[in-house]
Amino acid sequence: MAEIPVHFELPSNLNIEKFISRTAKKFPLQLTSQYYAVKTFYDSFDWRLYDADLICELNQSKQFSYLNLSNYSNEQLISRVDLENMPVFASDFASPVLVQQLLPLLEMRAMLQLSCLNLQCYHLNILNNDEKTIARLTIEEYESLKHRVSLELIKGYEKAATQLSEFFLESLELKVVKKPVLVAALKAQGRFPGDYSAKLDINFDPNTPAHKAIKTIYKQLLQVIKLNEQDAINATDTEFLHDFRVAVRKTRAGLSQFKSLASEEVSNRYSAYFAWLGQTTSLTRDLDVYLLNFEHYKASLPVAMRDDLNPLGEFLQLKHKTAQQELAAQLKSKQYLTPLIDWEHYLEKADKSIDNKLSIQEFANARIWKIYQRVIKQGSTINNQSPPVVLHDLRKSCKKLRYLIEFFQNLYPETDIKSVLKALKELQELLGDFQDSAVQEQALLQFKTEMMAGDYPEQTFIAMEALAQMLEAKSCQARSHFSKQYAVFVATRNRSLFKSLFVSKT
Amino acid sequence: MKIIATYTIKGGVGKTATTVNLAFLAAASGYKTLVWDLDPQAASSYYFRIKPKIKGGSKELIAGKTELDPLIKGTDFDNLHLLPADFSFRNLDLVLDAGKKPTQRLQKLLQPLEKEYDFIFLDCPPSISLLSEAVFAAADVVLSPVIPTTLSLRTLEQLKSFISESKLKKLKLLPFFSMVDGRKKLHISLMEEMQAQHPEILSARIPCSSEIEQMGIKRMPLGGYATKGRAIEAYQQLWQEVLPHLQSHQQK
Repeated sequence: MAEIPVHFELPSNLNIEKFISRTAKKFPLQLTSQYYAVKTFYDSFDWRLYDADLICELNQSKQFSYLNLSNYSNEQLISRVDLENMPVFASDFASPVLVQQLLPLLEMRAMLQLSCLNLQCYHLNILNNDEKTIARLTIEEYESLKHRVSLELIKGYEKAATQLSEFFLESLELKVVKKPVLVAALKAQGRFPGDYSAKLDINFDPNTPAHKAIKTIYKQLLQVIKLNEQDAINATDTEFLHDFRVAVRKTRAGLSQFKSLASEEVSNRYSAYFAWLGQTTSLTRDLDVYLLNFEHYKASLPVAMRDDLNPLGEFLQLKHKTAQQELAAQLKSKQYLTPLIDWEHYLEKADKSIDNKLSIQEFANARIWKIYQRVIKQGSTINNQSPPVVLHDLRKSCKKLRYLIEFFQNLYPETDIKSVLKALKELQELLGDFQDSAVQEQALLQFKTEMMAGDYPEQTFIAMEALAQMLEAKSCQARSHFSKQYAVFVATRNRSLFKSLFVSKT
Repeated sequence: MKIIATYTIKGGVGKTATTVNLAFLAAASGYKTLVWDLDPQAASSYYFRIKPKIKGGSKELIAGKTELDPLIKGTDFDNLHLLPADFSFRNLDLVLDAGKKPTQRLQKLLQPLEKEYDFIFLDCPPSISLLSEAVFAAADVVLSPVIPTTLSLRTLEQLKSFISESKLKKLKLLPFFSMVDGRKKLHISLMEEMQAQHPEILSARIPCSSEIEQMGIKRMPLGGYATKGRAIEAYQQLWQEVLPHLQSHQQK
């Protein structure tokens, strides 16, 4: 049997009253309930639920308040849980079912209201001669969107549902809708599902002059900075600041890597500005990371010691509060806003002073290849005795290489780019483990010094020392794996791939 | 999937009302539930307003020519489906007898529904027959309503010995009192006496009540039109007593 359409939109000339009366003439029906309701949709800023094919919707009326979790693609209900108020974070749901379903997807991200719709809802049963329900209808009469009718099929009565569906389409001229009402609600706001991603995805024409193309990159990064700015100030969740900072860092990397494509004055001014912006937001982000890792830190200690670490958590919270206030003040200051507005104007203007004739393809090939060679040169000099600073320098070069490849990835075959990025990511992860653990160990000892001036229990300092030792061991472990991981990165296959992608086309 | 047969040798003791009401309570708790109306009188089908007719009748069904799933109908209640009766079920014994391994036939037919349902209720016709044997072979639990009369006691004993002779060790027989008139002293004293002799009799007592009789007029389970009252409370108590037996029972 062909699939029966179940979601319909009413034409503008057919109101609910007419729809019901015309349907009732053909099919015996019974109105079972009618009420006013409010439907509110939620997702994280980066659309984690939509990416997982989910819709999260809070339905409220005088009689009920529940959360529906359904599939985006087919609108099939997955869970329905009674819920009065929506928490900000998935970890705060009282229902274990919701925590289990949503926390792995949303993690530290806040659930934000996407759209709020007021509607009149009608539930009707379609009956046969025995007054048995053979299909159910839900009518949603929206204040600002086209009204919708959903047909619920009842097992064994598919024929009746088909007749009903045909009647809707042919006699009442309803239209089949395949997308949830959320899409229409977002459209009315000028939005669409998945309309934000911190990842760059630019399809360059390979022949575009490089100095024009890189402005597209800067513009997208500026957009990410602007979109995350307010919630980074509000500390809605930690990832707004994270995405903000990554975009700042990438802009800085661009300014240093694309020096030849801008005037010296522009490069110097904005390099200094974005470096300042990175530093200004760095303490809050570091503290975010310590707080996000806090439970993991506790779990890495012996059970008896875990609670001794709690005063550190409180100390970090206090420190974070102050840092966040300072960050908010900085991001509202002229020192932040004026150069950013100037930067935006600069990106809109044509830069006639640039005398660089390279296409973006030529430029990307040359730039990536140069930084790749730098990575190889730095990496090949590292041995077991090398000081930490050389690994740190290598990490910085790897980061630049990663950003370059990500900026220009659409100029290259997707599978090859995935392979080089995978190899690079693995090396970066190891370098990150080495350095981050060492930095965290140092920070922990610094916190200890600060806390010693306060009234903190001795047991907390003992727990912090144990944690510092654990972090040192983790750093050492990463250090000992360097040679092996680096050998994977420079394996013949990877070297050939880098060469074939970034040299042959120059 | 657990299979619950409601069964008595004697008719008119509230067997179908028990099937329909317990299935309703199971479904209302969120369990995917199916009622199979095996009785050609089709009382369960009537209560759910579903036509007692299946394509191909009992012959094709028992022969395995027809799958069960396409014959199943959704009731007016969430999670609750019905496999309707058919008048040809009056010959089920003959049809079963004509095939191979007749007593295992129902079990085999129900196997494909394993993942679809948490509970399947078999509403059986009153009699001791080949169909009863097939029902006992398929079921995890047999729920047997007993009216507090001396004759019913005799019937219960007959059923116990029939099950024991059939060597169905895994099958759990759960008798309970039905159509109880609390005003009758005879009912009260008989129930006490019978419960002393048969401690396996459950403590829930289904009253003889006009609320239950209304099911025939309303054509729906008691829970479909009543939320309070002696009768519904008694069925709720019965379901709460039956549920642990289903949860602890070994999968067949």
